Amino acid sequence: MFKHYFKTAWRSLIRNKLFSAINIGGLAVGMSVAILIGFWIKEEVSYNTYFKHYDTIAQVMQNQTVEGKIYTQMANPFPLSKTLQLKYGSNFKHVVISSWQGDHILNKGLKSISESGMYMDKGADEMLSLKMIYGKYGGLKDPHSILLSASTAKAMFGNVNPLDQQIKIDNKLEVKVTGVYEDIPFNTDFNNLNFIAPWDLYVFDQKWIQDDRNEWDDNSFQIFVQFSDNVKIYEANQRVANAKYNEVSEGLKKFHPQVVLMPMSDWHLHNNWENGKQTGGAIIYIKLFCIIGIFVLLLACINFMNLSTARSEKRAKEVGIRKAVGSARSGIIKQFYFESILLTIIAFFIALLFVKLLLPWFNGISGKQMSIPWGNIFFWLISLLFIGITGVIAGSYPALYLSSFNPVKVLKGTFRVGKNAALPRKILIVIQFAVSLILIIGTCVVYKQIRFSQKRDLGYNKNNLIAVYMKTPEFFGKYDVLRNELMRKNAIENMAETSSPMTGLWSSSNSFNWEGKDPTLAQDFGVIRVTHDFGKTVNWQLKEGRDFSRSYVSDSSALIINEAAAKYMGLKNPIGTIVRWGSDSNASAYKIIGIAKNMLTESPYQSTRQTFYMLNYENANWMLMRLNPKMNMQKSLKEIGDTFKKYILSAPFEYQFVDKEFSKKFEDEERVGKLATFFAVLAVFISCLGLFGLASFMAEQKTKEIGIRKVLGASVFGLWKLLSKDFILLVLISCFIAAPIAWFSMYKWLQKYQYRTTITWWVFIVPAMFAIVITLITVSYHAIRAARANPVKSLKME
Amino acid sequence: MIKITNLEKIYRTDLVETVALNKMSFDVRKGEFVAIMGPSGCGKSTLLNILGLLDDCNGGSFLFDGIEVAKFNEQKRADLRKKNIGFVFQSFNLIDELTTYENVELPLIYNNVKAADRKVLVEEALDKMQIMHRRNHYPQQLSGGQQQRVAVARAVVNNPKLILADEPTGNLDSHNGNEVMDMLTTLNGQGTTIIMVTHSEHDAQYAHRIIRMLDGEKVTENILRELDYVHN
Repeated sequence: MFKHYFKTAWRSLIRNKLFSAINIGGLAVGMSVAILIGFWIKEEVSYNTYFKHYDTIAQVMQNQTVEGKIYTQMANPFPLSKTLQLKYGSNFKHVVISSWQGDHILNKGLKSISESGMYMDKGADEMLSLKMIYGKYGGLKDPHSILLSASTAKAMFGNVNPLDQQIKIDNKLEVKVTGVYEDIPFNTDFNNLNFIAPWDLYVFDQKWIQDDRNEWDDNSFQIFVQFSDNVKIYEANQRVANAKYNEVSEGLKKFHPQVVLMPMSDWHLHNNWENGKQTGGAIIYIKLFCIIGIFVLLLACINFMNLSTARSEKRAKEVGIRKAVGSARSGIIKQFYFESILLTIIAFFIALLFVKLLLPWFNGISGKQMSIPWGNIFFWLISLLFIGITGVIAGSYPALYLSSFNPVKVLKGTFRVGKNAALPRKILIVIQFAVSLILIIGTCVVYKQIRFSQKRDLGYNKNNLIAVYMKTPEFFGKYDVLRNELMRKNAIENMAETSSPMTGLWSSSNSFNWEGKDPTLAQDFGVIRVTHDFGKTVNWQLKEGRDFSRSYVSDSSALIINEAAAKYMGLKNPIGTIVRWGSDSNASAYKIIGIAKNMLTESPYQSTRQTFYMLNYENANWMLMRLNPKMNMQKSLKEIGDTFKKYILSAPFEYQFVDKEFSKKFEDEERVGKLATFFAVLAVFISCLGLFGLASFMAEQKTKEIGIRKVLGASVFGLWKLLSKDFILLVLISCFIAAPIAWFSMYKWLQKYQYRTTITWWVFIVPAMFAIVITLITVSYHAIRAARANPVKSLKME
Repeated sequence: MIKITNLEKIYRTDLVETVALNKMSFDVRKGEFVAIMGPSGCGKSTLLNILGLLDDCNGGSFLFDGIEVAKFNEQKRADLRKKNIGFVFQSFNLIDELTTYENVELPLIYNNVKAADRKVLVEEALDKMQIMHRRNHYPQQLSGGQQQRVAVARAVVNNPKLILADEPTGNLDSHNGNEVMDMLTTLNGQGTTIIMVTHSEHDAQYAHRIIRMLDGEKVTENILRELDYVHN
């Protein structure tokens, strides 16, 4: 019997190639989206599960209350780690203070490579359950040791065992390799951690950290903990909540610092904090994508039903014959289920092909490294279940509907589907188009917002500006010689050093005071240390006062503030105002000499933070160079590279273009835009399939009417208009449903941006026009075919 | 073999009630060839559909081989139908996706006949209808006459007790029409009971008896020739 079912299904598929292709194609698209989303969700929920102690590791967070609002941060003061160990130690197996992950140079003889790593306290290796290839846990006990990832070890030493080999960090810190661990996989928060050096070495190397040992006011470090056996996270959380509060001075107590332990299982999907409470995070995307996946698959299944039943009059004859020669209804139901499962199997393999083709692009958008697990038996079992469920859902309506036909009517040729049979299809089309339009309108608004923010006045000139991160101490003290030589070679127009990159704000402080300061002002000021030529290099625009000048020795204590700072401070005439930094009597005094136009360094969607610029040649992290536009760019870069290599031997010459770094700020929104475009295209495609099904169904239903009209003199054009008009009406209804929903959703979305675009009329009109045009194209195939058919044939059937 | 008594069939819509069969009674003996005639709309196809258990009636009795089948449910009707009844339609009604061979094989599949036996029976039927040489052709590759031969082969392959033919020559030219009628006569000669609905006086002359209908009622009954003997 199955052989017979297979034969019938296969031949029907081959005979109606276009129909089969559309039907299978539609289902394959739906299935590929579901598979992609399935992969993505699996990747997201298994984030960090690589670590054996996933369930018992937490990050120490801190809540602080400023101007009535609670802010949550990962950064903690140095002494908190010791306090947690000494006073709350019974709760934890490990308390691991660590630096932030950053790039450093690893040197072995003349070989230097740039790798990302962290300085972490003893116990990090065991806490993270690193899989040791060479060495064993405890490799961070010696302050002059280092653990390398397998790929880093290979890059430095080839395939030999590197244990006990000496290398240097940043060309200055001598360390011995005490362990090599397996590379940490991509879907973890430590995926790029290529070396771990001892925290004690970090303290030994950096004076400011030594000074911070008992400083509760400087929140600059991360702390991770692993709970002791049988300690519940909420118990530990209650016990340590006041760990900082109990230790700090009255001055800091006003911020009411509270320690919060965030479990590793929350890091990736529940890491949003609002006013001291966890408010979700990426989990919202899991839920959203889950709904989208089910929705798309369901739409594809419904389309499958639509298309399968659209030619019901054709299939009706076959059902009638089968019943007449002895088939029971159950036999026919089985046959149609068999057909839909067969088509689903074909669609599934096509979907796998789509997924294979789409994965690199999807990985790019989602920032993942997913692949199809061909060899995983579990994957194939799930796939089997997926095919079964999809096939049964897609096949249910055709099976039940088609098998119900009365053979008498069918074989007599008087069978007609009911007038209301088109209604569910019409409702479906309206829903599909409404969803498509919401997505298209959403996409337009997302891109409009991106364009709007990209056009925002930056307050400086980002073009032709390059930045070099000063990775090793060898950079320090070379500024003048580099600048002079590069200026002499005409490779650059100007050069400066700064403590923050042009696309970020690395340090801030709220310990500024001035005469007449409103005591309720508690927000941080951005602090950027620069050299004299900073303004000229970045082309900032001074609104009042003057730039730093070498002619004034007193400029070493001068301050240039931005417009936002002037506004926040509430000063009528800021120039000349003395600002003190620090709370004690030794606080340094700075005199405001100029007001610069706001420079956009952080989010292009938020207002600029109040920022102070001050001269300082000792705390630079970045070198900025404005390339000479009169010289060929490649030549300039080569000159700069050669000059750098001449003076800085230990570090490879690596630079960034500021404009490119700036454009990275739009990556999140562009990702949303790309995903919205992807789903919009998909929704339009699926809607068109639904439309195609409905058009063919209605054309079949109206065969007689068309025949009569033709006999009475209707033209092909007139009939095309008649048949298309209904569809346009449906799409217009969709437009009216979509517009308010899209407006409301996008209005809400834009509210999260302080600097936002407006929702104008064309974002509604253009998608609506597009929907109408695509509708006409889709239905015209059937409309024209029906209109051109010979009326004699259709009337003879009666 | 068939005995119907006071059979009624009424079609109802919101506004109209149409009596298709009005207390119709007659019987058909085993091995008989009966032609049913009458103008369009007189209820002859309705009668044939009820006799073929494709449709149900609103009243009266229908005995098939002595068993009352008028109140059978769909499953029972399908069972009785596939074992005992073969159909021949005016518009052939072959499945386009199946070859000649496979169309004829279909009733055997539904009767769960083993594949080896099916082969023998199908080839026998095709041979009998002289269409063996077209066994691998699809319906659309056959002429009308050939398609009707396939339909007849399908109707007889299961060796049914009864063949119901609804204007079997209606879509054929006179030459092919006569051939089909000859085939039906031969089958009848071999013992198969045949009930045929027709507009053609010529075709009706092949039958033992002609029942004429008007407005859902039997009006006359003519015996053309006597049944030679009753088959067992």
